Amino acid sequence: MPDIILALLRLIFLGLVYLFVWQVARAIGTHLGISVRQERKKGSRLLFVKSENQQGDELKVSDVTVLGRSDEADYVLDDPYASDFHLRLVAQENGLMLHDLGSTNGTYVNGRRISAPAPLRRGDTVQVGKTVMEVR
Amino acid sequence: MSRRLEAATIVAASLLAAFAVALVNFAWGGGLDVQVGLTFLVFIVSFGGFFAAVQTFAPRATPLLIPIVVALVGLGFFEIYRLDTERAGLQRWWMLIASGIGVLTLWLLTKRGTSALRRYRNVILLVSIGLLLLPNLPSDWAFPLKGLEVNGSRLWVVFDVGFTRIQFQPAELAKLGIVIFFAAYLADHQRALREAHRRFGPIRIPEPRQLIPLVMAWAGSLVILVWQRDLGASLLVFAGFVLLLYAATGATGYLVAGGVMTITGAAAAAVMFDHVQRRMTAWLEPFQHYEDEGFQIVQGLFALGTGSLAGSGPGLGRPDLIPNASTDFIFAAVGEELGFAGTVAIIALYGLLIAVGLGISFRSREPFRKLLAAGLTFILAVQVFLIVGGVLRIVPLTGITLPFMSYGGSALVGNMVLVALLLRISHEEAR
Repeated sequence: MPDIILALLRLIFLGLVYLFVWQVARAIGTHLGISVRQERKKGSRLLFVKSENQQGDELKVSDVTVLGRSDEADYVLDDPYASDFHLRLVAQENGLMLHDLGSTNGTYVNGRRISAPAPLRRGDTVQVGKTVMEVR
Repeated sequence: MSRRLEAATIVAASLLAAFAVALVNFAWGGGLDVQVGLTFLVFIVSFGGFFAAVQTFAPRATPLLIPIVVALVGLGFFEIYRLDTERAGLQRWWMLIASGIGVLTLWLLTKRGTSALRRYRNVILLVSIGLLLLPNLPSDWAFPLKGLEVNGSRLWVVFDVGFTRIQFQPAELAKLGIVIFFAAYLADHQRALREAHRRFGPIRIPEPRQLIPLVMAWAGSLVILVWQRDLGASLLVFAGFVLLLYAATGATGYLVAGGVMTITGAAAAAVMFDHVQRRMTAWLEPFQHYEDEGFQIVQGLFALGTGSLAGSGPGLGRPDLIPNASTDFIFAAVGEELGFAGTVAIIALYGLLIAVGLGISFRSREPFRKLLAAGLTFILAVQVFLIVGGVLRIVPLTGITLPFMSYGGSALVGNMVLVALLLRISHEEAR
């Protein structure tokens, strides 16, 4: 085999090794990065669209947040119809998950009272008492 | 990375291995012969089989681990083939056996998971110590299991039943058992160890009482050093324990204490033992002792220097001039034939492997699995550092093999079991 072809093949081999390393590195990068990016993009904010005292407030959910009337809730709801610990929001890879914590007056997602944990998408409305929040 | 992409990457890595073997053939005036096909076939059968087993026994395991391993085995394999065709044939058999044992490990863990390892930690420790002591069996008795002394170290066990002879290094499996025990022990005592501290400025100093396990691990590794003259395993066990202790407690004091103990232990060993003294001389003044102690290191450095940027090309260098090129010095041999570019790619692959391993640990919630994943990754990382550092003259040469790349069946088996354990942990912790 002529030396020139051999030299060329050698460099092609090294190039392929690097292509491989690059591909694997990229896969690892996206694998680690995806969840972070999606969390930020999708429904991790709640906007108070209708409320007596909290209208226009914005709530960011990055991990687990408990909403309720109690001072010990992560986010205090100023609404007489809300329970002390009313609902819990959990940020997941594909959006928010809403758990009602056995509240007296219930939680309504898009106008329907929920009986089981409900996934939230962008544009969904969450109603607690007289307070309405929208997922952004 | 999806499953399909993972499978494609495994095939690509196998093709790279076959391509490298073909390049060696071309350099020697040959062509695409049976060796090329056989290499591809064995890679596909062993790692494809392992991949399929992971889909069955641990379907939620991370897809990032196996492709890196296949690439590393491939980059080592072509160099083994280039150095010694007969050994390459044996290594192919070992690949099949190692992935078989990896599959067996996955299967054994399907029922009870890694928590079974935590439960039987004392049994595992005893078995590991037994394995470590096996090479100290007499080498001239009638029993088919004999110890063997090679190059001044007692590491080998020969299983001789007349018609066939199998040699293996039980320490390669024993070190996994020891890491499992460490992880289980620290998962139990994590809280006590973490809270008992005295503050000394910015450094947290562990209570003297809490240093007892550290001292015992130190003593244990010194016993290995004295009795088996295995510098590498002794350092590996101790460094693995100190790193795991740090991971479990977050106390930098342990790292400082561990570093001091390593240096005192090494200095004392250098004064007391001839074989350690020779390693030190070879490390510090290799060129003055070119004729004897320093010969291997100097040849390795020459090989790396000759390799320059892009290497001489597979089959076109003279890595055969380095003693033990296919085991201890495979990094220098690959460095000669693939050059700086090739060695950087290898270091990058090890870096990615360690990143994936630590990623599994970070994502784990259960303390034992967290520590086990960290510990397994640590011993892999320490091994790579010790041998690559030894070849590059950053640390003294310790006679450890380069994981996945060096010729050697027991090491390959041990490392495939390690990969199987990591995959199993990532499966159990997947959400």
